[in-house]
Amino acid sequence: MTSSEPEIGSPGGLSDRPQPELALRPSRGLTSSDLPAITASNPSSFVRIRTSLSASESRLPFIAERPSITKSRSPSNLRSQSHGRSSVSSRGSPPSSPANDSNEAHREIIVRSFAPRVAVFASPDTEEFVRQKGFKDGLSSLLRPYGERLYGRVVVRDSVGGSRGWDDFGIRFVDCQTLQKDSAHRAGVDVGNQNAQNPVNGSERVSEHNRSSYSNETNMSIEMVLDHYLQSAGSASEDQAKGHIESGGASHEPRPGSSPMYPIYLRKLLSSPSVVPYETFSHPVACLIAVSSRHPAPIEALRQLYSNTGHGSNKIPAWMGTDYLRYYVLIHDEENDDITKSTALFDLMKRHFGLHCHLLRLRRSQCVLTDDDSIRVPSCEWLSAAEEIEKLRLRDYADIAELSEKYILESDSTAIKSLLREMVTQSIVPFMESRVTTWNDQVASRRRGIGGRFMTLSKRWTGFGTAKNTTPSLVGVSNPSGSNYDYQHGFYPPETPESTMRQLGDYAFMLRDWKLAFSTYDFLRTDFGHDKAWSYHAAANEMAAITSLLTPPAINPKSRSESLDQMLETAAYSYLTRCSMPFNVNRCLTIAIELLESRGPIAADEAARWGGKLLELGVLAPSAQALTTERIADCYMSRLPTHWAAAGTRRRQAALWNILASDSWTRLNRPYQARARLREASSLYSLDNQGLPFPSMQGLWQRLNLALRDTGGADYEVLIDTSVAQDELELNTTEEKEQLNVITRPSIPSITNAEGFITQDASCTHPASLDDLQLQDDGFE
Amino acid sequence: MSYYFCIVGTQDQPLFELEFGTSKQGGDGVARFSQEARHMNPFIVHSSLDFVDELQWTNNQMYLKRIDQFASSHISTFLTPTSTRFMLLHLPHLPNTAPTSQPMPNSFPPFTPYTSVPPSTSTASRGTSSSSSTSIPNNPTSPQTEEAIRQFFGEVFEVWLKAIMNPFASTEGKIGSPVFRQRVVAAGRKYL
Repeated sequence: MTSSEPEIGSPGGLSDRPQPELALRPSRGLTSSDLPAITASNPSSFVRIRTSLSASESRLPFIAERPSITKSRSPSNLRSQSHGRSSVSSRGSPPSSPANDSNEAHREIIVRSFAPRVAVFASPDTEEFVRQKGFKDGLSSLLRPYGERLYGRVVVRDSVGGSRGWDDFGIRFVDCQTLQKDSAHRAGVDVGNQNAQNPVNGSERVSEHNRSSYSNETNMSIEMVLDHYLQSAGSASEDQAKGHIESGGASHEPRPGSSPMYPIYLRKLLSSPSVVPYETFSHPVACLIAVSSRHPAPIEALRQLYSNTGHGSNKIPAWMGTDYLRYYVLIHDEENDDITKSTALFDLMKRHFGLHCHLLRLRRSQCVLTDDDSIRVPSCEWLSAAEEIEKLRLRDYADIAELSEKYILESDSTAIKSLLREMVTQSIVPFMESRVTTWNDQVASRRRGIGGRFMTLSKRWTGFGTAKNTTPSLVGVSNPSGSNYDYQHGFYPPETPESTMRQLGDYAFMLRDWKLAFSTYDFLRTDFGHDKAWSYHAAANEMAAITSLLTPPAINPKSRSESLDQMLETAAYSYLTRCSMPFNVNRCLTIAIELLESRGPIAADEAARWGGKLLELGVLAPSAQALTTERIADCYMSRLPTHWAAAGTRRRQAALWNILASDSWTRLNRPYQARARLREASSLYSLDNQGLPFPSMQGLWQRLNLALRDTGGADYEVLIDTSVAQDELELNTTEEKEQLNVITRPSIPSITNAEGFITQDASCTHPASLDDLQLQDDGFE
Repeated sequence: MSYYFCIVGTQDQPLFELEFGTSKQGGDGVARFSQEARHMNPFIVHSSLDFVDELQWTNNQMYLKRIDQFASSHISTFLTPTSTRFMLLHLPHLPNTAPTSQPMPNSFPPFTPYTSVPPSTSTASRGTSSSSSTSIPNNPTSPQTEEAIRQFFGEVFEVWLKAIMNPFASTEGKIGSPVFRQRVVAAGRKYL
């Protein structure tokens, strides 16, 4: 515990020695000030760290296992440690069993979607350099595809000291422009609302309009993307069908395990986040500050960019914490600049900014396919729905040259990969780990302990009068005294314990330490509920439910599922009714459905139940609705009778939901999907053998069949004809049976109109069947 | 409230089907299902047989109470000793008026006969609805409704026993007797 330098990698040239990069620091007292001069030696804060740490050490024994956190690390120390960590890695990402392939894939999508975000702040000359390489949108667009799936395994150590390697770890690069645009957008709304706000009921009114309009926009754009893919899927299938007819084969189409559209939908749903105060997944974990060797005064430029990332700049909204990691990159132009000069500059940078520096050597010229060692830039997997639409529109209208794949020299690609790998394994992950440990010790455990609970209670109960007296303008606001919630603006300032703990939970989640994340969210949700911070409350409930689903199943699933139900219920209710954010309801419940389904047959039932609820809430756009209906059918189909277990199956439910899905697709005029689902349903009703179980089912069945036959598809005739024929056959056999019983009973006429039930109904009222007479004779009237 | 009553045999075949409306609170006893709902009802009842099959091993009562819910329609079940199942689907709405179907763009099912409750309150209403109104026609989850349905099932069970005591009838055959039908309608009028 030799150091108390607060700002990690802050410029200012404190000294010539490399700065200790994982120094602990108090999160409250110093975060607001980024000026190193003030905080370089602050004895009081130092003392506070000491006391809090010693207290936490006595409470949590595992701290002893990681003494190196509190010590300053030399670069060699860091290297050796990171190597040690790699070798320690116990085991990798969970192996996926072939049986639950699609479930595992969906789970992976969900886990990967919550990735750390890195904001890119690049100097103008850097942007110019990258643009010359052919990347119009600047440095972030060059780095982004490589960041989504890192090369090699990333080892993360969790809060209890166990380490685990992840093959699919990734980070998302966001341009500082988009970050600023989002925040500016919101800030404008905040200011606008501030004036018009009525303090009496203004607890959660901030930018409500903005939220719902955002929800609608996102829903719309997801819908458009789905539309596009459905269109292409439909046309592809038609081509396929034509091919079948030409080849003359009566080939049976393979059973669709789950719709290929669903992963696309899920991905789009999860990759369209907005930058919001109530969850910090969209806040940057680190920012990458880049300058090129071309710049006349690179250190000055870096300093300037650094000041943009800090609290003083108006580009960061007030609710976003600014104590994230700064990573400095010097881009060396291989073709035009001298490497010795760049190396000298890089050394200077290291001295000024500490260890979080990297020298990236790139070539200026644009690469084309015909170049010798050209390599294709991987495509972005996590484009948000709006970006995807933009891309598709480009494909439609722009010329061919525009949309041709981007290529990059292999050496450049390797350089970028190694930059990202080094940045993640040596800076971002250790930074997040140390943050988690620090916050866990200083904020979370203090509040979790008995004293903390008592403090919150006493704060809540003692100062009833005082709050009203001190803030006369807010009389009538249901402001529990002592809460840190800013009722006027509707957020917790970033230095409050609540905000810090939310960030702790999110960091733990991104590092995939589900247990710690769950305990944090679980603790937070009651706090937020007491403060009536509804959007925070809903988000904490949502994340608590998700993390509890991600942790391995508990011993008593009963109590667990009850608390899970309650959390999901609260999240959905708070999102929808209190905050009117339908998009978040959709995201929350969709994730819950997916995670529940991957937990086995009993939970699949729950998943289907939540799916039904999600549909009933009426928040889904039509295509999403159809896809969710399909998903419910899939949930039930995972419980079909197998050869060893016949009890507790869900064949009939699966059939119903397949019918409903087919109906939804028919309404959307997607005959291909509708047909697939109807085929599924007919096999579940075992139509080939015995026909529909209820004669009165014919009405809907016929309607669907006719609608699908009218919309084309020559291969479809087979199904409809056989079904009707089979049904008539079935009716005939029952008639014969009845005749054998010597009971003259009115036979049910084969129903051809859509009024199945009515016809049946009328036929039943026919009098004078034998058993009636018999009954009358028996004195049964 | 509109009712769809169905007796289902052991092979999942319907033995008797009847639609009727509530007679309480001045109801005229006429079912007011929309056309789409009328077509969906048999599918829904058939699908909830899955839950009956599961529940029959854990519940030793003949009356299994409310076992399933599809949107705002509820399904109650009575299980006879011969595994013939009485299924009653009930859709709550005001007497003598068709269920309100607001043309919501995103509501589910798309044809909206089942969404008689506004969709935004359906999560909230779970807890509150049972206490808000206790009248049978409006509230399918109240204990009064549960009791009324129990009495209805009890009476139908008696009538059904007499019907299948007929030596020429089988427990798996369709019940076409108009008297049986009248009796069921009368029971419905009496209790529901």
